[in-house]
Amino acid sequence: MIEIRSLRKNLGGNQVLDGVDLVVNEGECVVVMGPSGTGKSVLLKHIVGLFDPDEGDVLVDGISVPRADGRTIRRIRSRISYVFQNSALFDSLTVEGNILLGLPEGHCRRRDVNCNELVREALEHVNLGPEVLPLLPAELSGGMQKRVALARAVVGRQRYVLYDEPTTGLDPLNASNINELIARLKSEIGSTSVIVTHDVDSAFFLADRIAVLSDGVIQAIGTPEELRTTPDPRIQRFLDPAAAYAGAM
Amino acid sequence: MSVSGWLQRVGRKVLAAVQHAGHFGILLVATMAALPQIRRYWPAAVGHAKRIGVDGIALVIVVGGLSGSLLAQQTGYQLSNALPMSLVGSGVVAGMLTELGPVLTAIVIAGRTGAGIGAELGTMKVTDQIDALVTLGRDPVVELVAPRVVGGIIAMIPLVIIANFVGIFAGWFTAVSVLPMTTAEYVQGARSYYHSAALIFSLVKAPIFGFTITFVACYIGLRAEGGAAGVGRTATAAVVAIIVAIMVLDVILAPVYNAVA
Ligand SMILES: Nc1ncnc2c1ncn2[C@@H]1O[C@H](COP(=O)(O)OP(=O)(O)OP(=O)(O)O)[C@@H](O)[C@H]1O
Ligand SMILES: [Mg+2]
Repeated sequence: MIEIRSLRKNLGGNQVLDGVDLVVNEGECVVVMGPSGTGKSVLLKHIVGLFDPDEGDVLVDGISVPRADGRTIRRIRSRISYVFQNSALFDSLTVEGNILLGLPEGHCRRRDVNCNELVREALEHVNLGPEVLPLLPAELSGGMQKRVALARAVVGRQRYVLYDEPTTGLDPLNASNINELIARLKSEIGSTSVIVTHDVDSAFFLADRIAVLSDGVIQAIGTPEELRTTPDPRIQRFLDPAAAYAGAM
Repeated sequence: MSVSGWLQRVGRKVLAAVQHAGHFGILLVATMAALPQIRRYWPAAVGHAKRIGVDGIALVIVVGGLSGSLLAQQTGYQLSNALPMSLVGSGVVAGMLTELGPVLTAIVIAGRTGAGIGAELGTMKVTDQIDALVTLGRDPVVELVAPRVVGGIIAMIPLVIIANFVGIFAGWFTAVSVLPMTTAEYVQGARSYYHSAALIFSLVKAPIFGFTITFVACYIGLRAEGGAAGVGRTATAAVVAIIVAIMVLDVILAPVYNAVA
């Protein structure tokens, strides 16, 4: 379970998060939506301890991430995988080297583990063939990099997966492939996930609950059905940009 | 500007400097703690050592040769008739071993490798690769800093030896072709100055400078901010900081040598 309690964070004089409360239950998939620049990525980074909160707390499995010592934080991180918004592949390593880093250190030295098999499987999940294994990230298109980053995130089958805009920059076919992959991981290994996305369709497809982050706080949270029927016009406009666009015409 | 405004500005500068020193110290301690885990990064360290050596050797030979030649000419022109020409040999050997060999090699490697490491780690920082490494449970100090630092320490030793050798050889070539002296005189002068303490001093400076170059470059690279422009500034800042650090260390080490030798 991930619990975020009254999280406040000021970055460069800008109060990015101003009291965020959010609970993600075991096996649940929460989608976080909100306008660009409202701190969705900053929120995700707090969960893995890449940012320390000014105030408030973040708990993973009941353990406080900001207060954890070195060993504890490493143990927490080993349960979480993170898909960065801009892929963040290691550009000195091949695709294979990148995906292998998604496995725990020393994992491939175990006799009962076939890492080549795991890597191939992860690539298949993101609809890429083994021919990309020896390539460097610079030799891939942006969308392919994104998919390799997803493969790196899912190869270790961690219990928690944080996705920062997993389908941004992908064509509709690959985007729906990724959505299916996320849904499959959830049903197969019961992974708990937080997904940041601007894609309303995939949000409604994947989410158990949708949270709308804006002005530093969660403005609304609920099941897709609840949000769809909410009377709040700001939420409506956000979830149905087409209607907002038509209304503005 | 009011006095309080001025005080505030000075205060902020001092605070920033203290913070810098703190972060530098933290990375230094973390690096020292990571160095003994050599089995985890040894192959990477050897790779870095090779790259530093291959990238730097041509320039080190050129700069080493030119400085040996300059030393020979400077010493030769300043000798009056009363002094024996063999002192040219002493001057070149003394100058190369104790100062120019290690320092010029360090400056050449700062320009090549220091800038490279600063830009590489800077790019990794601004494109979230460092954060990704951390979330994947890897320690950036063990994975990135330690292998580069050990690679630098290893590579600097042969590079300084080569610079010394080429410099002394170029000094001889200049001496016999430009100055009115013979090979025998040069060798005699070189021998009369040479003592193993000078060579040892040279070989002690090499790894110290190798550590300084790579460590300062890593420190500055890991603090990069602000996209491609930030990475560019980082590479420049790394070279400047390394050269200043090398010069300061060299000044500190000079009296140590005199006390020992
Ligand atoms: N390292 C940082 N230093 C200073 N400010 C930062 C940093 N990271 C993010 N910010 C600021 O925090 C705010 C939120 O950034 P964040 O990346 O979380 O937005 P986002 O909601 O993910 O937007 P997008 O949908 O465009 O990705 C922005 O105003 C940004 O300028
Ligand atoms: Mg973002």
